Amino acid sequence: MLRNFRELYQYRGLLLSLTQRELKARYRNSVLGFFWTFLNPMLQMGVYSLLFTVYMRQKIPGYTFFVFIGLLPWIWFSTSLGGGASAISDRRDLLTKVRFPAQVLPATVVVTNLCNYVLSLPLMLGLGLLLGYVPTWHVVAFPVVLLTQLCMTVALVYIVSALNVTFRDLQQIIANLLTMWFFVTPVFYRVDSLPQAAQAPLVLLNPMAVMVTSYQAIFYEHQLPQPGPLLMWMGISAALLWVAAGIFERRREDFAEFI
Amino acid sequence: MTTSALASQDAIVLRNVVKSFRKSTIRREYTTIKSELIRLLRGKRDTDGKSMIEALRGVDLVVPRGKTVGIIGRNGSGKSTLLKLISGIYTPTTGTIDIHGRISALLDLGAGFHPDFSGRENILINGIILGMSRAEVKARMDEIITFSELGDFIDEPVRTYSSGMYMRLAFSVATHVDPDILIIDEILAVGDEHFGKKSLAKMTEFKRAGKTIVIVTHDLGTLERWCDLGAWIDAGRIREFGPPADVIRSYRRAVALAEERGMAMEAPALASDGGALPSLAAPQDAASPLTVDAVRLLHRDGVAVTWVDTEDGLELSVAYTAHAPAPELGLGLELSRADGVLVHTTDTFAEEVPFCAAAAGSGTVRFVVDRLGLTAGRYAFTVVVRDRAGQVREKREAACTFEVRSNVRDGGLTRPAHRWIVEGSAARVAPVRDVGS
Repeated sequence: MLRNFRELYQYRGLLLSLTQRELKARYRNSVLGFFWTFLNPMLQMGVYSLLFTVYMRQKIPGYTFFVFIGLLPWIWFSTSLGGGASAISDRRDLLTKVRFPAQVLPATVVVTNLCNYVLSLPLMLGLGLLLGYVPTWHVVAFPVVLLTQLCMTVALVYIVSALNVTFRDLQQIIANLLTMWFFVTPVFYRVDSLPQAAQAPLVLLNPMAVMVTSYQAIFYEHQLPQPGPLLMWMGISAALLWVAAGIFERRREDFAEFI
Repeated sequence: MTTSALASQDAIVLRNVVKSFRKSTIRREYTTIKSELIRLLRGKRDTDGKSMIEALRGVDLVVPRGKTVGIIGRNGSGKSTLLKLISGIYTPTTGTIDIHGRISALLDLGAGFHPDFSGRENILINGIILGMSRAEVKARMDEIITFSELGDFIDEPVRTYSSGMYMRLAFSVATHVDPDILIIDEILAVGDEHFGKKSLAKMTEFKRAGKTIVIVTHDLGTLERWCDLGAWIDAGRIREFGPPADVIRSYRRAVALAEERGMAMEAPALASDGGALPSLAAPQDAASPLTVDAVRLLHRDGVAVTWVDTEDGLELSVAYTAHAPAPELGLGLELSRADGVLVHTTDTFAEEVPFCAAAAGSGTVRFVVDRLGLTAGRYAFTVVVRDRAGQVREKREAACTFEVRSNVRDGGLTRPAHRWIVEGSAARVAPVRDVGS
């Protein structure tokens, strides 16, 4: 594990350059260019707002802002996991021809999506201000939540990308799983709208539910996130990252042969 | 102290390196739910040796610092696997590999190029992938661009490049990484004539700077001109390692021998018998009682020559020694052109030549040709000692090479003795040219 991250640090220049390129490449040759980074979640948010405020009449004040808070980290998570699954298996051109630490590739996917998330934050805060939600001192908890989510995402992407090299069905499974996962994560509904008995297990078992409710607590409810679930998932994320780096290291030697 | 000093003399040390691949990997059978279920139902896992194939079967190779080593061998003999092991892309199944120095592998040009990005942006990424730091690439950027000779194209997306331009850019980046050890897989022939020369010059510069180079090539000329040492790898083992000229000779002979025997050229790693080319040592093992001592080419007047005119005659003088009575043996000749085309083959049995080494002793057999009749080119005689059944006891491959010259600019292989006759009202009825006879 330590070797994994030491190498990642050694090759930070590569990580940086690849991330930069991914960010630039994604919208190159499109007319609106980088603006799509903001446009995509906004359009998605628009659909949910319309659905739940006009058609289904959900009674949540500032609903658009509420959805946006949860939607952005979810997009970071789901695009990382979805794209990360094939991060190794799609880069045959690199891995069979050049020697370099493979963990840079999944890490690049996560960091690229993190950049997109961070860049969308001003937009989210602006929308909040427009609807009367001024950030309070509770934002100090934000980096903690962000870091926890980063750990967990990197860990999952490591595992998924390493396994996908020999087990190609995984990327299809992940894609479908993410759709289901989205609906059990309280992005466009509040946790307390769930039946009382289901609340605790649904939230505790789902790390993304913990992340999303924590972001909502900070920006929407103006309070600190619930410490219990967050601390628990911080611990699990750290342990998972340790295990994931181990799995990745063990499988790494086989990558060049299998892809 | 001593050991480390000794070790640093060698840039690359491979000790008994074995590399096996799972057969399923070769056939590209990925694990899927289906295959996983089938395996579960059958209740066994593929851990036995049967499902593994060996690409390298125990390679020992020591590359001294500052030497250029060329690796040859037929397709599938393990050359690329060896390079990938040295560059660290693969890890050996067993055995050890020690590398002393910074290594850079050019197994493929333009690894990680993105078609939508400009040449300049791709230089940065590619350089970092090849092991340079951002600062290093930026410092060498202008040098790389100048070397690539792409001019204004450097700021255009790479997808607009011609394939030659693409290769030039990739080669420029790759050679500006400053490694101690350079691993190259057959990419010296880059771009047009001009750039080819330039890249060759760059390689020579590397050599002069005392860098260790390992190169895989099918061009035996490159090996001979360029390398200090040659390594011939066959069926996953090093068959010969030494001066390029010697290695090339052995390699050529083995390939010719395999072709002669009609050996199936399947992938060695999959062949049941190991798939190695035939051994060169075997024919010499059973020492022939009749040996060929000297083969000389003579003019009709008995003077030794190295070239003859098409219309000339020649004489091949074969001196032999019979170490023991060998009445069952005879001599055979093969005349072939330098490109391998067989012109004529014959032996003392076929023509019922009264050649019989009934007692020990030496003598000379003279093969006299009154008129050669071959078109201009390079030819060679191969002399064999064989018995009536065709079993070859000794073979002197290209024992005598010579050149045929001619003032007549005709083509093809042979020029039969002929003359031209032109008939018609306008022509004189006379032979315009009379050749041979």
